[in-house]
Amino acid sequence: MNPSPDPWVWFAAFLTLCIFSFLYKDNIFYQFAEHLFVGISAGYLIAITYHNQIYPNLVVPLFFEGRILYIIPLALGLFYFARFIPRISFLVRIPIAFLLGWGSGVFIPAIFQRDILRQTQGTLLVQEAFEKWDTGLWAVVILIGVICTLIYFFFSRERKGIIKPMANLGIIFLMLGFGASFGYTVMSRISLLIGRMQFLLGDWLGIIQQ
Amino acid sequence: MNAHGSVEVSMNVFELLTKIPRQIIFLVIAVAVATPLIMPIGMPVNVMPKSKMLFQAIDTLGPDAKPVLISCDFDPQSMPELYPMLISILRHCFARDVKVMLMALWPQGPGLVELALDEVPGTYNKVYGKDYMFLGYKFGVSAVLLGMGENIKRVFPFDYYGTPLDSIELTRNVHNYDDLSLAISLSTGDPGWRQWLLYAQSRYSASVGVGVTAVSAADVYPYVETGQVIGLLAGMKGASEYEIMVQNGDYSDGIRRAVQGMDAQSLGHLVIMVFIVLGNIGYFVMRRKK
Repeated sequence: MNPSPDPWVWFAAFLTLCIFSFLYKDNIFYQFAEHLFVGISAGYLIAITYHNQIYPNLVVPLFFEGRILYIIPLALGLFYFARFIPRISFLVRIPIAFLLGWGSGVFIPAIFQRDILRQTQGTLLVQEAFEKWDTGLWAVVILIGVICTLIYFFFSRERKGIIKPMANLGIIFLMLGFGASFGYTVMSRISLLIGRMQFLLGDWLGIIQQ
Repeated sequence: MNAHGSVEVSMNVFELLTKIPRQIIFLVIAVAVATPLIMPIGMPVNVMPKSKMLFQAIDTLGPDAKPVLISCDFDPQSMPELYPMLISILRHCFARDVKVMLMALWPQGPGLVELALDEVPGTYNKVYGKDYMFLGYKFGVSAVLLGMGENIKRVFPFDYYGTPLDSIELTRNVHNYDDLSLAISLSTGDPGWRQWLLYAQSRYSASVGVGVTAVSAADVYPYVETGQVIGLLAGMKGASEYEIMVQNGDYSDGIRRAVQGMDAQSLGHLVIMVFIVLGNIGYFVMRRKK
């Protein structure tokens, strides 16, 4: 055992234990650590946003380089605060409209390309998929899964005839998907615990090599 | 004790199984996770094809290849899963003399990048500006990734330390995604891999590799199948696989944090499965009784 001589490591270990104490029940140590975290996060975000974004992209060009056009984004940004003044609150619609228009133009084609065109293309059975028996088999399974899952979400026709078993198969595919997601979620949560344990047992107490 | 009494006792046991106090469950999981960290079991880690694909994408690169861009889109909370990926990928790139650019779409990213840069480049005698460089963090993911597709230097005129990109040897001839071999997003949520696919891959056809926390892994799979993502590292398991491949390739013999954690991961899962089975046995027996 070789405990860390660094007081900051001890403070971090204390905060970790404060958070873990919530697993027993809510208490003042947990609340202290939680409030400290929220306050520091907010302060850090404001500071880093100002220094990385507002200062180099607005303050410098507008006030130091005299690029007057930058007054437009400044005004658009300030209009967001118009919500707090009822008399001019309508001004907030201008930046929102600008953002919506720009966002729709950028997002819609890109999402169509990423999630619909390429994904549909990937679902189609092509000759290359059957060059190996296993890839061919999985390609067929994927195709069946996609069709059956889509049929499960097709509510415009009564579920009878061929539609019913296909929708039921769709449910099985959905459940398998949810199971895989849940398994990965458990894995992720355990990883977080492992990370803290590695810190407590390694960096803090020096029991394990880091 | 008569027959009626023994049935009652067994019923109480089954009822107890459905009402195990959560504090006991947490304690057992904590012990199950801590024990293999102190006394490693050395369970084998099998490398999955999707992790191998990312490894091979970097393994084909050499000193003359275009730089690899690593985007650290995560915070300290996700360090156990994503930080070992960052360290392993850096070790792999530096061992193969591949140039590396780093950036962050999360405000907490720069601190983690600097931590990694304190640890890895020195081991391989790499020089800042020549072999690797750090663009820093930029707010506004859409504008950043779209802008980088046109001109990286307009989005990041300076590196994280305030040096103009034109005066940095590594970035002198880097203009947009065409001048990169590969972009890798180590991502814990939004902004992250989804935006890299949306803008860099879909719009500018950049090669994108992804490392994610296990929570997001199932969401990335369909994009690997279609080739939109060239390789995937999923959670601590993915990180440990990459560490194994880097070590097997004689690229590094440094500490493997994720491999170290995999014994604990397996034992933690085992305990959770045992609790799930016990809880279900108790539930079904009690339901039949009612």
